Amino acid sequence: MHGIKRVHQSPEAAQVKKLRDQAKIQEYLALTDEILSRKKNQDWSVDAFRLTSRLLQINPEFYTVWNYRRNILILGIFPHSSLQDVNNFITDDLSMTTAALRSHPKVYWIWNHRRWCLENVPNGPGNKGENDYSEWKKGNWDKEIYVVEKILDADPRNFHAWNYRRYILASMPVSKPLNSELHYTARKIEANLSNFSAWHQRSKILAILWDGKELFSIKSKEDELELAKNAMYTDPDDQSVWVYHRLMRKGNNKILLEREVSAIQELLDEQPDSKWCMESIVHYTQLLLRNHASSVDSPALTSYCQSLLGRLQRLDPLRQHRYKELGVSK
Amino acid sequence: MSSSPSSSQLELKIPLHVAYIKSLGENKDDLAYHLTAHLRINAIYWGLTALCVMDHKGALDREEVIGFVMSCWDEEVGAFGAHPRHDAHMLSTLSAIQILVTHDALDRMDVPRVVKFILSLHQQSGVFAGDAFGETDTRFTYCAVNALSLLGHLHELDVDRTVDYIVRCRNFDGGFGSGIGAESHAAQVFVCVAALAILDRLDVVDVQTLGWWLSERQLPNGGLNGRPEKLEDVCYSFWVLSALAIIEKISWIDADKLTAFILSAQDLEGGGIADRPGDMVDVFHTLFGVAGLSLLGYPGLVDLDPVYCMPVSIIEKRGLRKQWKALERRKS
Repeated sequence: MHGIKRVHQSPEAAQVKKLRDQAKIQEYLALTDEILSRKKNQDWSVDAFRLTSRLLQINPEFYTVWNYRRNILILGIFPHSSLQDVNNFITDDLSMTTAALRSHPKVYWIWNHRRWCLENVPNGPGNKGENDYSEWKKGNWDKEIYVVEKILDADPRNFHAWNYRRYILASMPVSKPLNSELHYTARKIEANLSNFSAWHQRSKILAILWDGKELFSIKSKEDELELAKNAMYTDPDDQSVWVYHRLMRKGNNKILLEREVSAIQELLDEQPDSKWCMESIVHYTQLLLRNHASSVDSPALTSYCQSLLGRLQRLDPLRQHRYKELGVSK
Repeated sequence: MSSSPSSSQLELKIPLHVAYIKSLGENKDDLAYHLTAHLRINAIYWGLTALCVMDHKGALDREEVIGFVMSCWDEEVGAFGAHPRHDAHMLSTLSAIQILVTHDALDRMDVPRVVKFILSLHQQSGVFAGDAFGETDTRFTYCAVNALSLLGHLHELDVDRTVDYIVRCRNFDGGFGSGIGAESHAAQVFVCVAALAILDRLDVVDVQTLGWWLSERQLPNGGLNGRPEKLEDVCYSFWVLSALAIIEKISWIDADKLTAFILSAQDLEGGGIADRPGDMVDVFHTLFGVAGLSLLGYPGLVDLDPVYCMPVSIIEKRGLRKQWKALERRKS
């Protein structure tokens, strides 16, 4: 149970609730029993299918009933249906899960059922070789991006929705240009800098674009560092940005490390108590010391790191032992 | 200073929590009890393990518990569902095995059939599915690895393929996600790191980076969150702490403040622990609250193994203990 306020009921209130629940419990248990009995008897009828709709509306977490519902479709309904009817059944189930997700956006089983639906959209309405051969597929998959965006509008950190979004982008019959996904993450980040899920998605999309040489990675990394820098200046306490910065600044190139240290130092001069500035300077400076010991002023850098780590221990006592360890290990 | 008792003075109310867990089976007048039947066997594992940690294993009747587990057997599939007549699934099968191992009753079940069920869900990519419908998640990989290990059949697993998939779920922040490309999340970090620990493959973990990311889960109120810029929640006391224990970095967070936070989420009237102070309690957060306290060395608790999330004594008896480090148990 998450985020539901604790209330201790009086014995009278508890009694009232008990009576009110009693009828509901009877109805729910009777429905459950009927469905599980039909399932045991391998009843793949439309009647049974309708019963599963009723139960799943009350309790979308009942995974056994989702399983049964799919088996009814596969074994009982689809074999006797035209492709048009199969498509109608699947479209109906997609609508049903859209409604269910609106009230239960974090239930794994609903997301699963949706995937199953999409993967079972038949080809049609046209025949093979005709223009509209994959129109149903295209239509249903195109709608998905819109559905998942609605859910991410309501909760921009919902990881189910992000995972599903990645799945849709990777599997849709007519793929969407990755650049438009990059714009989407920019919009999400702009709306809320703390949305690390969007930063994460951005990093994954960029990695694909860099690998495929669709974006010149050196120039693109520079742009990303600039983006991160702007975000740091907007809110130097926002962890998401610093984690992202660390990804973009991965590597041991001396000039780039030194440049980053001095850029963050500038911000630290403006924000002398910024934990993240200090922590990042230590991180990048230690990389310099580890990889370029002979060409940097090691004693000076070491002693600067030590002084920052000392300040971090006081400023961020929760993690003081980590800072102590960083001061000893090379 | 406020006049209300500060949370640092709170104690773990063991008798209240034991009574709360014992009472869970008596809520049949409550609609919510029936609506959560799909989690029943997991709830029994959570309750039993919490009782073990509080040294009250006997509070639930052994035969009754074993009888319930066996009533969840799905003869068609050859594994356990969450409740009698519910379909077999990886999640409920691990809970069933953990309960039977805790009660030293593995001889009641058909081990070869369950091993076959688990191995049948291993996908070409290396990840595991939860059931025949094919949802995949690193959670199921952990369930499979943990279960096979408890059953003494780990040698039948293709370890390289399993590890390879986990490695592909590793992110630049050192953490792991539910699948390839997914965002790091503390609970997924736990399942991946614990699975790697069981497989003796912690070499693929970037300890410094992961330790950094995990230590940043602690918020000023002492609680832990599961991802950057999210709210604290008692269950992360276990997901984050167990991972830190496995990479031997528990000292990288503030144990006293986390202890106080967990204690402040107790329901001092009805017993049980909630996700955060003032919320409704449940048995899931009760386990992960006391599990966290055990790893933090809270006095009077029984040692919990962070890899298997079961009492250390049981894991040691089976010769399965891995390298990890919790805080030393305090005397008072």
